[in-house]
Amino acid sequence: MSVRPLLRRFLPAALPTILLGAVAAAPAPLPPPVPAAQTPAPKTRAPDSTDLPPYVSPDGETKGSPHRGGTLRLTADAGAGTADPQINYISEMIQLTANVYDGLTTFSKHPGDASNVPVADLAEALPPPEDGGLTYTFRLRPGIRFSNGHVLDVNDVVASFQRIFKVNSPTAGGFYGGIVGAAACLKDSAHCTLAGGVVGDEKAGTITFHLTHPDAEFFDKLAFPHAYILPADTPPHDLGNDAPPGTGPYRIASYDPNRQMIVDRNPFFHVWSAEAQPDGYVDRMVYSFGLSDEAETTATINGDFDYMYDNVPLDRYGELGDTVPDQVHINPVYATYYLPLNTHLPPFNNLKARWAINYAVNRRAMQTFMGGPAVADVLCQTVPKGLPGHEPFCPYTKGADFQHPAKQWTAPDLALARKLVEESGTKGMHVTLVVPNRAVEIAMGTDLQNTLRRIGYDADVKPIAFAIQFTYIQNTNNNVQISINDWFADYPEPSDFLTALFGCENFHPGSDSSPNISGFCDPTFQDLIHRAALTSVTDKAAGNKLWAEADRRLAEEAPTVPLIQFRKIELVSKRLGNFYTTNLYHLLFSQAWVK
Amino acid sequence: MIGAVLRRLGQTVLVLFGISVLVFLVFFATPGADPTARIAGRNASPETVAAIRHQYGFDRPLPIQYLHLMDRLFITRDLASYVDHGEKVVPEVARAAPVTLSLVGGAAVIWVTVSILIGTIAAAARGSVLDRALMMAGLVGISIPVFWLGEVANLITQSRFHTSWMFSWVPPLGYVPLQDGLWAWASHLIIPWCTLAVLFIGLYGRVLRADLVAASGEDFMRTARAKGLSETRVMLFHGLRTSLITFVSLFGLDFAQLVGGGALLTEVVFGLGGVGRLTYQGLVNLDLPLIMATVMYSAVFVVVANAVVDLFYLLLDPRVRDGR
Repeated sequence: MSVRPLLRRFLPAALPTILLGAVAAAPAPLPPPVPAAQTPAPKTRAPDSTDLPPYVSPDGETKGSPHRGGTLRLTADAGAGTADPQINYISEMIQLTANVYDGLTTFSKHPGDASNVPVADLAEALPPPEDGGLTYTFRLRPGIRFSNGHVLDVNDVVASFQRIFKVNSPTAGGFYGGIVGAAACLKDSAHCTLAGGVVGDEKAGTITFHLTHPDAEFFDKLAFPHAYILPADTPPHDLGNDAPPGTGPYRIASYDPNRQMIVDRNPFFHVWSAEAQPDGYVDRMVYSFGLSDEAETTATINGDFDYMYDNVPLDRYGELGDTVPDQVHINPVYATYYLPLNTHLPPFNNLKARWAINYAVNRRAMQTFMGGPAVADVLCQTVPKGLPGHEPFCPYTKGADFQHPAKQWTAPDLALARKLVEESGTKGMHVTLVVPNRAVEIAMGTDLQNTLRRIGYDADVKPIAFAIQFTYIQNTNNNVQISINDWFADYPEPSDFLTALFGCENFHPGSDSSPNISGFCDPTFQDLIHRAALTSVTDKAAGNKLWAEADRRLAEEAPTVPLIQFRKIELVSKRLGNFYTTNLYHLLFSQAWVK
Repeated sequence: MIGAVLRRLGQTVLVLFGISVLVFLVFFATPGADPTARIAGRNASPETVAAIRHQYGFDRPLPIQYLHLMDRLFITRDLASYVDHGEKVVPEVARAAPVTLSLVGGAAVIWVTVSILIGTIAAAARGSVLDRALMMAGLVGISIPVFWLGEVANLITQSRFHTSWMFSWVPPLGYVPLQDGLWAWASHLIIPWCTLAVLFIGLYGRVLRADLVAASGEDFMRTARAKGLSETRVMLFHGLRTSLITFVSLFGLDFAQLVGGGALLTEVVFGLGGVGRLTYQGLVNLDLPLIMATVMYSAVFVVVANAVVDLFYLLLDPRVRDGR
C-alpha cells in the first residue's frame, strides 16, 4: 500500500504544531483511521518482475531466482556494538544477525503477525512440555554446518547455553535464570556447567532442558538472539569485533564499528526450514556507519544506500511523502512511550496524584510530537495493541472512570485531575520530569510540564544525556519522581511489558539496572502475573485473560502513565524489491531484492 | 637548548596528567555516568551487573582505576570502548587521524591562500569600497556557524541541486582514502574544505589587514620607501613578512586544535570519520575510553603546535632570533 496519502495528509500538517510546541490540552478531534498492516498475505508462486511484496519462496530456496545476487547497501549512524551475538542487545545488530545465526527455536520469518510465533529452527520440532512444563527435550536437525564448516552437534548447544552465563549475557538472569543450575552459574559464571539443567545426549542427538518452574515463554526465550547456537569452542569472553561462525545463510566477514561491516554468504548453508531460516537473495551486504540521520535520509533518497536503519527525522516526513512515497513503509513495532511514576516519592506515592496525571495528560499531543496518527496511536494501557492480553480499556479519558471505562482515549479531563490533586493534598508540590535530551522527548516534556502546572504542581523539566537517561531514572538514589521512557518488546508477549516493567522481582533499589522504575510492588498484581504465566503454559487463551486482568489492575494502581504506541517509518532505495518486515526484526535483509 | 627541550617535555607531561585527571574525575562525578549497567545491558540481573562491575574493575578505588586506565591507554594500548567492546581506542584514533589531517590540511591551504590575498588587497586598497566589501564579507564568514553552513551545503549539493550540472559530480558524503585515487579523495573533501575554511578566511583576512595597516607606519617601511622601492614591493616583501607573525601564531594554534579534533562539527555534518567525530561519539555515548583517548591526542597536538609556533617566530622575526 502506498503511504503517499497518509504522509501528505498527516505529517506535514503536524509539523507546524511540533515546531511551535503549542499543543493545547483541549480535546482534539478524533484521529483519522490508522493504516492497516502494510503487508498483504504472502504469495508462494515463483516470482516475476511484476510481483509486489511480500514474496515468500515456498521451499525457502533462492537458487535459480532472477532476483538472486547483488549487494545490499545499508547505512546507520553508528556501529552496532559488540559482534558477539550472546552479548549484543542493540536492535541494529539483532536485525542483521537474524540472517546469520539460529537458535533451537526462532520467530517465524514470514511477514507481519505470522512472525510473532516461535517455530522450530535448529531443533526438528517444538517439543511438548513434560513434567508439568518443567522439562523439554529437543531433537537436533542433522547435517547443519557452521560457516567455518564445523558440523553442529549437541555439544555446541550445551556449550552455547553455558556461554550465556560465562560471558555475563544481559539476559542471563532474566531469560535463562529458570534453567536448573542457572543460579550457580550467575554466582560463579566462569565455572558454569548448568549441570542437570541442559543435558545433551550425543547418541540420540537430543538436548533436554530442566526448568525450576514452568515457563510459558520458554520457546520465545530460546528464539531470542542471546540463545543463538555457536560452536562449542567459541571463547568464553566478549568477542568484540570478531563475529563467531553461525549457521544462517550469511556470515559476518569483517566488522569495524566506526566504518563498515561486510556480510557475505555462508558457503555451508542449506535450507532446512523455509519458515525458520530461508536462503538469502543478495550475495553480499555492506553496512556503512557514520552518517547522521539527515544525511542517511538524503543518501537513501539519492540511491546511494538501499536501507537506512535509523529513524527518519521528523522534519523530512513531508518531503518523503511528496517525493518518494513509494520508497517509504510504515510498519508496526511493539514499542511504547510511558511515564514511570515513582511510587515511593511524593507526590506520586499518593494514588490520587497518580490518577490525576493519568486524567490530565494530553495523549493526542504526544502522538503529534511523534509525527501524527500515521506514526503513533494513543495508548491508555500498558500492554500495546497487537500483543496477546491486550483488551482495549481506558478509564482515564473524559467521561470515563473505573466502573465505566471507555474502549479508547479521546480527551484529557483537567477538571477531574485538578480535583484529584486537591483531594490528594499534594497541590503545590515541586515535580521534576526527567527526559532524554532528544527533540521529541523534550517537546513531550515541555507539554507535560504545562499539564503538571495546570493541575496544580510546581513543575520543571530536566533533560539529560540520552546515553545515561535510562540508567539514571532507574536508580532510586537519584530520586527521580517522574520521567519519560520508551520500551521495546524483546518478544511479543505481555509479560515483556507487565512483568519486566512492574514486577516486584525487577525492582532493585540503588541499582542502575532496575527496570521497574516506578518501584511498584503490589501483591494483587504480582499474584495475577504469576497466575497468568503459569496458566499460559497449558492454556494460552486463559492465560491471556489473566494478563488482561493484570493490565487493568495496573491501570487502577497507576504506577505509570501510558502515552503512545508507535510505528517505524522505513525508507528504502528505489531499486530495493520484496520489502517485507517481521514484527521483531523489521526488514528481513535476506529476503530483500536488489536485482 | 637541551634544557629548553626537556623543560618543554616536562610541561607536556604535566599538562597531559592534569587534563587526564580532570577528564577522569569529571566523568565519575557526573550523576548517572557509572558505565556498569550500560555495559551489562538492559534488564541485566543484579548478579550480572556485579560480575560486569568486577570484570571492568569498577569496584576498585578511583586512583587504582585511573592508573589502570592510563596503563591500558599509554603502555599496553589495548583500552577498548565501553560501547563497541571490540574497538581499541588507540588504534582507532590512529586510523581517524589521517581523515582529520586530510580535512584540516586542505582547508588550511584554502584559508591561508585566500585570507592572505584578501588581507593584502584590503590593506592595499585601504578605505576604498573594495576594502569595506572584503572586510564585510570576512565578517559574514566569521559569523556563519560551520554546522549550519555545512548542512546548507549538503542541502544544496546532496539534495536540492544534486542532479543539476553544477553538483552532479559531488559524491556521497563520507571519506575515501588517498590510496583509492587522488580525485576520489579530493572530490569527497572539496565541499568540507571550503565549509571549514570560510570562518578562518574571514578571521585571518581581517587580522592580516589590520597588521599590514599598522606596519605601514613603522620605521622600516618608511626606510624601504625612502630607498625608492615600489609600493608593491614594500607591501609584499617588507610589510607582509612582519605582519605574518600574528597570522602564524594564530594559524599554529588553530591548525593544532583542528587536527586535534576541533573540526568536530564539520566531520559530523559531512560524515567524515576523523578524530572530531570520534570525540563526538565518545561524548554522545559518554564513553570514557574514547573521550580520554581523543582528549589526550588533542592535548598533545596543542602542546606540540605551540612549540612549533615558537620555532617559526625565530624564522620570521629577526628581532626574536637575535634576542633583541
